[in-house]
Amino acid sequence: MGIRGDLLLTSVFIAAVSLALFWMAAFTLWWQMHAWRTPEVLASTRFSRPDGGEHLSFSLLLPARHEQAVLDHTIQRLLESTHTDFEIIVIVGHDDPETTAVAEQAARRDPRVRVVVDTHEKKNKPKAMNTALPHCRGDVVGVFDAEDQVHPELLAHVDHAFRSTGADVVQGGVQLINFHSSWYSLRNCLEYFFWFRSRLHLHAQKGFIPLGGNTVFVRTDVLREADGWDPECLAEDCDLGVRLSSVGKKVVVAYDSAMVTREETPGSLMSLLKQRTRWNQGFLQVYRKKDWKQLPGFGQRLLARYTLMTPFLQAFSGVIIPLNVAIALFLDVPVGIAFVTFLPAVTALVTFVFEVVGLHDFGKQYGLRVRLVHYLKLIVGGPFYQVLLAGAAMRAVWREHRGRNDWELTSHVGAHLTASEVIREDVPA
Amino acid sequence: MTSTLPAVTAAKVPAQRRPAPTTRPTDRTEPPRRLRSSRPDLLLCGVLLVAILVVQGWNIADYPTLSDDEGTYLAQAWAVQEGRGLAHYTYWYDHPPLGWIQIALLTWIPSLVSPGSMTVGSMRLVMLAVSAVSAVLVFVLARRLALPRWAAGLGMALFGLSPLSVVLQREIFLDNLAVMWTLLAFCLAASPSRHLWHHFGAGIAAAAAVLTKETMLVVLPAVVVTMWRHGHRDTRKFALTGAVTACVLIGFSYPLFALLKGELFPGGGHVSLWDGIKYQMSRPGSGFILDPGSGSYGVLHSWLYYDRVLPLGGLAGAVLLLATWRWSVTARALAGPALAVAVLALVAMRPSGYLPAMYVIGALPFLALVLAGATASVAHAVLRRRRGEGENRYVTGGRYALAAVLVLAAGAYVVPRWYDGDRTAVTADANAPYRAASRWLSTEVADPAGTRVLVDDALWLDLVHAGYRPGLGVIWFYKADLDPAVTRTMPHGWRDLDYVVASPTVRRDAADLPAVQDALRHSTPVATFGTGEDRIEIRQIETVAGGPR
Repeated sequence: MGIRGDLLLTSVFIAAVSLALFWMAAFTLWWQMHAWRTPEVLASTRFSRPDGGEHLSFSLLLPARHEQAVLDHTIQRLLESTHTDFEIIVIVGHDDPETTAVAEQAARRDPRVRVVVDTHEKKNKPKAMNTALPHCRGDVVGVFDAEDQVHPELLAHVDHAFRSTGADVVQGGVQLINFHSSWYSLRNCLEYFFWFRSRLHLHAQKGFIPLGGNTVFVRTDVLREADGWDPECLAEDCDLGVRLSSVGKKVVVAYDSAMVTREETPGSLMSLLKQRTRWNQGFLQVYRKKDWKQLPGFGQRLLARYTLMTPFLQAFSGVIIPLNVAIALFLDVPVGIAFVTFLPAVTALVTFVFEVVGLHDFGKQYGLRVRLVHYLKLIVGGPFYQVLLAGAAMRAVWREHRGRNDWELTSHVGAHLTASEVIREDVPA
Repeated sequence: MTSTLPAVTAAKVPAQRRPAPTTRPTDRTEPPRRLRSSRPDLLLCGVLLVAILVVQGWNIADYPTLSDDEGTYLAQAWAVQEGRGLAHYTYWYDHPPLGWIQIALLTWIPSLVSPGSMTVGSMRLVMLAVSAVSAVLVFVLARRLALPRWAAGLGMALFGLSPLSVVLQREIFLDNLAVMWTLLAFCLAASPSRHLWHHFGAGIAAAAAVLTKETMLVVLPAVVVTMWRHGHRDTRKFALTGAVTACVLIGFSYPLFALLKGELFPGGGHVSLWDGIKYQMSRPGSGFILDPGSGSYGVLHSWLYYDRVLPLGGLAGAVLLLATWRWSVTARALAGPALAVAVLALVAMRPSGYLPAMYVIGALPFLALVLAGATASVAHAVLRRRRGEGENRYVTGGRYALAAVLVLAAGAYVVPRWYDGDRTAVTADANAPYRAASRWLSTEVADPAGTRVLVDDALWLDLVHAGYRPGLGVIWFYKADLDPAVTRTMPHGWRDLDYVVASPTVRRDAADLPAVQDALRHSTPVATFGTGEDRIEIRQIETVAGGPR
């Protein structure tokens, strides 16, 4: 009786866990595939063609820190923009003379470039942008990172999007491109692809959206009304999106492969881990700030709760799925229960398959040659990437628990780190 | 308020720059985007549905003759309902079990209300529901494949009212359920909204069809073709991948089930999926279908006996559509069903294959669709082809006269034949001997619980309700030879039995079953119902002096 009772308990327990995981994975998959649900939805995720009229003025914030190597190129490219009314505000630190020099040289060359110096003792991106906010003269504030490659027609499209939709916020696409660099950069690129190409549009539609770190445009008055960015939050971009959408501001997302801001993946596995830790910790902070509780709809609040908890659920399911399958195969549970334990694995498999197709589409969209070896890397790398994500999630919980909420990467900045490792901390995915 | 570009209602209105659907079949009669809200469509479909239900439902229990297979599936559905596993004898992976699990679900409520109604004759009624769903799906599919309304109605009528359909769709065959799932897969594949999850659903429905009756596997390429034609360039790869993945994953649940039970591979003392498949693949062939004297030829003629219009006309229609692929929009729109007909015809032509009588059931909806499509194609050619603005009204009149002649000729050929066939179906009583045998065994045998009797599967549930012990008291006749669990209980062979009910099926199959043959030889008829080949004899086993009984 005891053994039978134990078995029954085990059965019920793993069936419940399996079903929960199944629904989680199924919903995530459903959302991940949002943009491809119908051809009409896919068409609606793009920028609509600008009508030629340009009525908004832009203030483009460009926070730069130890990025003298790439900053000038980024400014030059931004200046090539076809839009006629914008200013670039480069934000540099008072302790960073090299970058300041590059910025001031650019400002001397072109009156549209201005320099703002951030004098905070402990520096981070939200503080830098808050420093610049009072100096913005444009109707719309846009944020870019110092190494971003921005399309010259982007501003014209964003201008049109603001006017044609009456939006308060427009989020453009950001895409990591160097999928061939390493096994994890392949998965990292694909994460961005699914996030900006598809999932973010669903969030916009549902009225709850964690914004990205750059290529994001906010009406200046709306931003000032919201007191800018939260200087204490590690995912200030996500936080801003959550705060704005929670009070009913209209957010519009548009993705055009020609118009995305191109970036590169972190230079090493460790920096990816740190970046992800920061985002996860940021998500946790946003969750605990409870701004999302103002969302009017129950479904919206549920989506918020779920989205902000995703990294941790992901870590959890990465551990549980293999365990569950092992239980089904090796423990003597009833066939029906064993069947149920396979459900999460099934959704994971479907997700996998869609990722392969996504990689193909990514290659097509960007005219990149995706070879067989990349598909193999994608599949083989899957479980290892899960381990990485789980590790980052656990680190985030640990750091948050210990009260360590400094900007990990920034605090490590020194001679041993090249600029490229600092700058890639932008969008939550 | 937040929203995607270009507006909040993005999902409902086509976006501004929505690319033209280049690959979608365009036809002169674009179906309404929502069939549900089209009154003429609903009306036509509803009227036809009532006609089909009346013709198929009237006299359903008495015609055609109860088939052994119907008894098998219903008895296994009963075993599922009773919680006796997937069959009341050892489930040996003869077919995937999903079919009779569905029958168990369908008959569950009626059998709760009246347990005694769980017999082949009365439970044929649930097949009416399956037929109804399939017939509606044929109409929907025809409309989604851009056939004009009248042609969709024609397809539905052909599918539901052909005497061949009426006979076969009345019977509790797994194929009828599988057809329903296959049609659902087609309808979802041709979904006008081209929704990713509709295509995903098509994959699931296709898997359900295959798990209901494995022969549906050969129709899957036609589902893929339909989906390809209806997909949009930008989302097609996701849609197709989703469908294939869903289908494969659900399909794999069957081997997974076997694996979890430890019955995937053969081994000592247990059945296995492997052996089941080996048995199905190595069934003795019934010969080339066009070789007079072969079993397949006989099966073909048994179909043509009921109706020639649907099988032969449908086949001709498929050939016509495939031949006019280059010119005819209709032909391209019906690529899926035409391909299904072609594949099913080719599979039936295998010289060494085994061709069961219910094989044609899987082809019926496609034959009907293809024939309706071919008719629409001909109608278009006669009435519209090369018709200019200022065509001479005599020529136009000639077109309509020709069309009228064709309609009358077709009607004159089809209507009398179908009238005869369907009249037989609603009036003939083919099952009186079965009912009488059932009544005799229920009333004339003193101690049913202690009596052992060999019967064919169609009568088995009747006797279970009459108080015989299921499995070892009332025995599927061939289990006496083939199931070790049964033969073990018959150490003295026929002497351990009391009765054998010699129905046509039992007499036919006894040739290969020595124990049954012995029982027949050592028994004498105590009651005979019907005459000639179709008679049913209840034979009592001779008592041998000094024997155990």
